[in-house]
Amino acid sequence: MSTTLILHPGTGWEAARRRAFLWGLLPSLAVLLAITLVPAAALLVASFTPLSLTDAAGTFRFDDPLVNYRHLLEDERFLRSIATQLKLSVSSVALQLAVGLALALLLNGRSRLLAATRTAFLVPMVLPPIVVALIWKILYTPDVSPVHRALEAVGLPVRSLIANPDTALWAISLADTWQWFPFTMLMVLAALQMVPDEPLEAASLDGANRWQLFRYIVFPHIRPVLVVCGLFRLIDSFKAFPLIYVLTDGGPGSVTEVTNYYGFIQAFNFSYWGYASAIAMVILAGVFALSWLVGRLGWNDHDKR
Amino acid sequence: MTQRRHLLQAASALGASALLPGFAHAQSGAKKFQGVTLNVSTFSAAYPKLLQQYLPEFEALTGAKVNYDAPSFPVYNQRADLELSTKGSAYDVVNVTFIYSSRWINSGWLTPLDDFIKNPNLTPADWDVNDFLPGARAPETGRDGKLYGIPWTAEALLSASSRFDLVQQAGLAYPDTTDDLVKVLRAVNKKERVAGFVSDSHYGWTFVPYLHAFGGDVFRKAPDDLYPTLDTPEAIAAAEYYASLLREFGPDGAITYTPDQVTQALKLGRVNFTDAGQLHLAQLGDAATSKTLKTLKFGQVPKGPAGRFPGTAVHGLGIPVGSKNKEAAWAFIQWALSKQTTRKAVLAGYGSPARRSDIDSQEFRAKQVINGNDLAQLALDSIEQASRTGHMKYRTVSVYPQVDQQLNKAIALIASGQASARQALQQAQAQSITELKRAGQNL
Repeated sequence: MSTTLILHPGTGWEAARRRAFLWGLLPSLAVLLAITLVPAAALLVASFTPLSLTDAAGTFRFDDPLVNYRHLLEDERFLRSIATQLKLSVSSVALQLAVGLALALLLNGRSRLLAATRTAFLVPMVLPPIVVALIWKILYTPDVSPVHRALEAVGLPVRSLIANPDTALWAISLADTWQWFPFTMLMVLAALQMVPDEPLEAASLDGANRWQLFRYIVFPHIRPVLVVCGLFRLIDSFKAFPLIYVLTDGGPGSVTEVTNYYGFIQAFNFSYWGYASAIAMVILAGVFALSWLVGRLGWNDHDKR
Repeated sequence: MTQRRHLLQAASALGASALLPGFAHAQSGAKKFQGVTLNVSTFSAAYPKLLQQYLPEFEALTGAKVNYDAPSFPVYNQRADLELSTKGSAYDVVNVTFIYSSRWINSGWLTPLDDFIKNPNLTPADWDVNDFLPGARAPETGRDGKLYGIPWTAEALLSASSRFDLVQQAGLAYPDTTDDLVKVLRAVNKKERVAGFVSDSHYGWTFVPYLHAFGGDVFRKAPDDLYPTLDTPEAIAAAEYYASLLREFGPDGAITYTPDQVTQALKLGRVNFTDAGQLHLAQLGDAATSKTLKTLKFGQVPKGPAGRFPGTAVHGLGIPVGSKNKEAAWAFIQWALSKQTTRKAVLAGYGSPARRSDIDSQEFRAKQVINGNDLAQLALDSIEQASRTGHMKYRTVSVYPQVDQQLNKAIALIASGQASARQALQQAQAQSITELKRAGQNL
């Protein structure tokens, strides 16, 4: 056997090992394929049909495969939902990164108090999204909200933020930030542990102030982590649902109707599964495009620091 | 413990057999459905919760095992809509949801029940399908005239005042017309920090009685002519009127209120008037949680220039066309809505039965009198009126969910100051036409 291995590298020990690994991996790959690619392919196929549940047999047809995509270009409500989505995503992700980074810098230390505070700040992230939405529903309902009552007591009454078309989207962005800033905080804290002490000490001896230490040594170290956090949160922000469902139902009017929520309405209220699938495919393409764009910008490239 | 449970089941089955002689006769005294597993799904509500408690009785009586699933209303509807559309066999008994009834029935997704009802081997004569209110049976009936669901609830949209004492102090009576309502609200709004009016933000349900009262309608003539009529002068006037109730007399954030929030606000006396479903309003009579029990007053939705058009909603139990256990499923429905079971539910406090004999019973009427208001009579009058005028036909057409959305948005747009009533309704009209054409309607 060993002679064969030496004489025929293609069928040798290395190749046999690769094949063994491949066979070992195959079950996992098959499962992965079944649970990710197959549903995605089904979504793509459905998006090429005018599939409607009210006439499922009659509408699962491919005579005009681009009908949904053409319709999307003329659908003002869909186009508005993209603008709403971008506003929500950009504002909430930017806030999450800013708050997460700031708190990570503040809480980066070894005392017990800091450890306990770090743990407390993680709570919003581990709560079920629907619970988070209910907490904010209470906070945003003037009748029962302790925040509204406190503000009224000090002579600064604030009208309902979720019933006001000028503030409803930002109210959702704030609630989303509250839930997800701990993710950035956690990741940045981990990255801060990896910042070497030597350059910080050397720069301090050279007279660098705290801002300069952060700007020229700490930030370049944690920048790739921030980019990853931003990308993860950006992708996740496209799936915004529970907060909108519970707090505003897409309103008032349609000022908080993001693309994902519009797709949900098309599928579950109107039964247009083909059209909703096309919306989902557009979201998927948008997420891929954004990820590619972030990669191209090179913010996460260590070598270009 | 197990022995005790078996004993209780046997005892209840014996009781049920005695109470349902026709049904027991149909089973020839044997457990006809031994080994059958029935999958029953409905949404979580008062009657389904009672049925869940009574299930051991049915299982002991028939030998069938029941998997009972009752998620929340929207979750149930989404699941059922999807499952029924596949004509699959996952469910044997489903709730026929009011707003989906036309879609589900006329798409051929449900089984006609007439043959089961007529068959004396399957249904005893005293089960009496005609005991169910005609107004409740109508939405469960298909275009072919066949019955596809047996109603377990017939609910009406009524008007309520949680602080009627404030109205009395102002020397006014309970508002009977839309003009009266405004007059009363002007007099009592914000008195003792109580806001005047709020309603569930599902305006496709709460606003429509006002649309009708002003002489407007959702469609030209449902179910035959489904051309939307949302931008008529009457509809615009009604929308302006209704949005102004919310804008001028509503609590802060009025357009975000859910049905439970409305109930809670009235129980705590934070809001005075509302229009809401009878089941929600009945909760105001709960002495343990309602602070306004002694100042409650109920009435019908107000009359407008065109008359009074109360909203009604009916839910029933039906059998999916794909069910593989139709006979056992019918046995379940027959048991679940037998006179004995519905009466037992009424005695347990159930508030919106669909059987005339229950509604007329002393036990029910006594429970429905809340602070001197006969809620049952108000609901019955509303249901009978809806049956006479047929104004609720708009609600069971298959494309109503699309228009419902437009109405929700239109009222929110007006009340939040984003659009005038004319602009909002013209937009709703245009979008409804687009949606209906897309749904295959010839307009």
